Amino acid sequence: MAVRSEVVPGAPSFGKLKMRKPGTGRVIGDSRLGRWIRIYIPLLVFILVMLFPFYWMAITSFKSASELFDFSVSPLWVREPTLGWYQHLFTQTNFPRWALNTAVVATISTVISLLCSILAGYSLARLRYRGADSIGWGIFVTYLVPPTLLFLPLTFVIRDLHLFNNLWALILTYPTFLIPFCTWMLMGFFKGIPRELEESALVDGATRLQAMMRIAIPLALPGILAAGLFAFTLSWNEFLYALIFMNDSLVKTIPVGVTQELIKGDEFFWGELMAAALLGSIPVALLYSFFVDYFVAGMTAGAVKG
Amino acid sequence: MGTATRPSPGVAVWRGRRVRIFEREAPLGYLLLGPTLLILGVFLLYPFLFGLYLSLSDSELGSLGKYIGFANFRFAFLTDSVFRTAVVNTFLYTGVTTVFKLGLGLAMALLLNQVFPFQRFARAALLLPYIIPTVLSYEAWRWMFDPTFSVINWLLVNTHLVPYPGPNWLGVPANAMAALIVVNIWRGTPFYGIAFLAGLQTVPVDLYEAARVDGATRWQQFRYITLPSLRPVLLVVLLLSTILTFADFQGPFVLTNGAPYNSTQLLSLWSYQWGIPGGAIGLGAAISLVLFPLLTIVVALVLFLLRRPE
Amino acid sequence: MTDGKQSKAKSGWSRRDFLRTTGVAVATLAFPEIIISCGGGSSTGTPTGKIPQPRKGASIRLLQWSSFVKPADAEFIRQATEWGDANGVTVAVEKVTGDQLQPKTAAAVEANSGPDIIQMQYGWPHLYTDACLDVTNEVNILKGKLGNVDPVNDAFCKVDGVYRAIPYTIVPNAWTYRTDYFQAAGVTSFPTTWDELSAAAAKLKTTGKPISQTDGHAYGDSLTMWNPVLWGFGGKEVNADGKTVAINSKETRDAITWAQGAVKNGLVVHPEWLDPDNNQAYHADRISGTLNGASIYIREKIEFHKYTDVTNNAAMPSGPKGTFAMNLIFNHAVMKWSPDAETAKAMLLHLMDKDQYLKWTTVAAGYNAGPFVAFHSDPVFTADPKLKAFQDVVAPGKWPGWPAQPSKKTSQAQTQYIVADMFAKALANGGTGDADAAVKEAESRLKAIFERP
Repeated sequence: MAVRSEVVPGAPSFGKLKMRKPGTGRVIGDSRLGRWIRIYIPLLVFILVMLFPFYWMAITSFKSASELFDFSVSPLWVREPTLGWYQHLFTQTNFPRWALNTAVVATISTVISLLCSILAGYSLARLRYRGADSIGWGIFVTYLVPPTLLFLPLTFVIRDLHLFNNLWALILTYPTFLIPFCTWMLMGFFKGIPRELEESALVDGATRLQAMMRIAIPLALPGILAAGLFAFTLSWNEFLYALIFMNDSLVKTIPVGVTQELIKGDEFFWGELMAAALLGSIPVALLYSFFVDYFVAGMTAGAVKG
Repeated sequence: MGTATRPSPGVAVWRGRRVRIFEREAPLGYLLLGPTLLILGVFLLYPFLFGLYLSLSDSELGSLGKYIGFANFRFAFLTDSVFRTAVVNTFLYTGVTTVFKLGLGLAMALLLNQVFPFQRFARAALLLPYIIPTVLSYEAWRWMFDPTFSVINWLLVNTHLVPYPGPNWLGVPANAMAALIVVNIWRGTPFYGIAFLAGLQTVPVDLYEAARVDGATRWQQFRYITLPSLRPVLLVVLLLSTILTFADFQGPFVLTNGAPYNSTQLLSLWSYQWGIPGGAIGLGAAISLVLFPLLTIVVALVLFLLRRPE
Repeated sequence: MTDGKQSKAKSGWSRRDFLRTTGVAVATLAFPEIIISCGGGSSTGTPTGKIPQPRKGASIRLLQWSSFVKPADAEFIRQATEWGDANGVTVAVEKVTGDQLQPKTAAAVEANSGPDIIQMQYGWPHLYTDACLDVTNEVNILKGKLGNVDPVNDAFCKVDGVYRAIPYTIVPNAWTYRTDYFQAAGVTSFPTTWDELSAAAAKLKTTGKPISQTDGHAYGDSLTMWNPVLWGFGGKEVNADGKTVAINSKETRDAITWAQGAVKNGLVVHPEWLDPDNNQAYHADRISGTLNGASIYIREKIEFHKYTDVTNNAAMPSGPKGTFAMNLIFNHAVMKWSPDAETAKAMLLHLMDKDQYLKWTTVAAGYNAGPFVAFHSDPVFTADPKLKAFQDVVAPGKWPGWPAQPSKKTSQAQTQYIVADMFAKALANGGTGDADAAVKEAESRLKAIFERP
């Protein structure tokens, strides 16, 4: 408990490290050279390897068609940068529309998943009733169902609900793979909130629902943020359902629109493809650069109490 | 869900009476589960049961077949030689990537747990491979492995690590499998890293201090304090990642689609191959379900280990 | 509940099937010549039914792959929309990539709803027979105007004597090569036999720009290369009965021996190549020749202008057992769930109208050829003599699984790349793979498919 309370509020995850006494830092840090060998160099190698594909995407997206295939000089740099691919992307394709669709779908399905997971997570972590354990396991175990098995039977459901070619088809199906993880994460958070807080509220005359709304949920906000981040990412990236359920160019999401309309017949259009891939990644990348510590904190709570 | 209408008279009874409160938790508990169970039931359980039926039938696309027992499974195991290759490859793929993701993820977490400038930037940056759309990043990898214009080979050749023209990444069975594995590791490691980082943050600092006072070496601290405290997060991450890697479809489909000559064929690809282009969805469903019993046992085991008294 | 609907739909079908079968039987007794005209034997087949009429206010969705020749796609959409405007019909044309077309089609068939018209690639009408409406009447109308259907489109469209799709187009596959490199290597004209090709590959190896082709899982180029090689040496996957697997033969081994020799000589095969990769390598001046649709040449001609003058095209070389080719074949099916099937049929008839169609092939600049006799004189192939090769490969064209008729089984063998995998395995390590093991594996995989109930 002590650990969690350091991590959750306000300034997540730095808490523990800040608490270290000045003296201990030296033991861990050793000399300046030691820090370079143990921390900076491995870290740089990691960053270099993990981020190289993004660099390559970026550099490709600024190359002209002729430069793309010219390996006689270093391909790692661009000699005559062009914004042509980006321009084409925004004027000749529905890319802005796809981005809007993706944002709408990701946001609403995240909200739905969060609502469901908050209620379910609270119920499973806080309320005592028969079967709670098995239901909790059951929800987690749904990850076992192979997605390639699901999509054909799902088409029946989508057809019967008349949702083909409708963004609601995605908004309603995405929670199936978002809710289990979010529920698990939030269960951890709710378990970490001292029961006494709620119980004293109950004694003071609050209903269970009021106790949940006024005490448990506000305290679990960092976890909710983390779960929301996770859910948003997965729905932003989803491909298979969007491919099957969406037909019009105007209702496509970024992953589907880009692979469908930028890879034509028997030609790749690398410049445009990479430009779109890069732009499609930026929103989630930005989100994470702001909220990464909440994400870590959310995982922590889930891990300890899950 | 029939309890949905009941709580209102109950509210009055709850007030100020703690004993009754706990007796009354069941209806609310089920009520709160309602939305989740509804969504999972309609969009997951129902299609899943339907898929189960398909695997036991001779269904083809567009026509629901009749029940044929385990004939699809018999065909897969006894007659279909590519299926056997796919099983072996799937285990290899999952096993090797998991070991590497574990190791590299741990290393990444230990690094990110240190204090250094731009720490938050480093954390967000290292998470990037995991969070960007898979289809798009795999297209980028395909471009990097491109047989004629591989930037990886350009680097290798120009640093004189290998002679021109460098390895044919996707055209030789062993290389193609290695390429698939490398990209999966690239994509999956950040998730392990962040989860382990979360685990590391739960270790109380005084434990280390006490250990140092007792003269424990750095390795001993790692072995007896760090690793045990990572156990719960390790199990969950391992579980999720193993399941998802077993079923991985998008990436391998973009990168190799089984080529060269099925040496990178995986169960997910093969079930798709029979079910969609081949039209035999009964058989396709059976192939995608082959690992279900095995995975269920593994998961049950892990969940059992995870369970701890509250 | 879905099960109930499904079986109801199914029994509805079998009743309609029955009616149709009876109808055909009665017709056969009364007018035997109709059957002959349906069989593609006669070019004077008279229309047997009424001409479908569009319904004002209808809306039609058509699902197609996106062709690389962008202007051709635009022209197709223009024609469809123009027709829609004239007839008060809303037309939407949806384009997806080749490998995404199949899962989308499968989902539509499974859900029994979706686009009114779907482009059927290769043998799909045999996979999705029940979902495709009978369009025999419309095909006969077209035959009356345009002459016979080309045999490959005919075999793919016709299932058990009933047309399930309206012939649409052929994407001819021929060799595109660099005349300057060929001359430098001392090869004055493109080889006309496989043995000559092997010898030419040896000479071109010395220029550093090899002749290259995929033997991987590329759903166009890999099939259009290795099936004709197999046939040229007399090999076949299965007998004409469509049941007896016949791949394990001396002829198959001859084909493999040739391929291994060619690779040892200098033909470079790439199991990792997908359909775009040889285009890319050619445009980047890495190879001197490859087998492909006309797209390489067209893109050089319209867009890059780098090697246009030194690029030429040639038809398929011959083997000891004759000249064979394989092309990409696309047809349009009207789906059974369409509320406006008559309108959909009327639109397809309009698009296949000779004047309309030739406008489209002109814009496609040689990438597409028409599947009826009347299109054999399409001026697009004579306006530029270098495109003639693409017209020449249409006639020797066959379908995967030939000499058996297309079926579910041949489609499965095709999409599992069994022939290409066999060659790829034998051609591994510079053409020194185990040929015997490759043939036996192909045989066991084919048997698994053809002997499956």
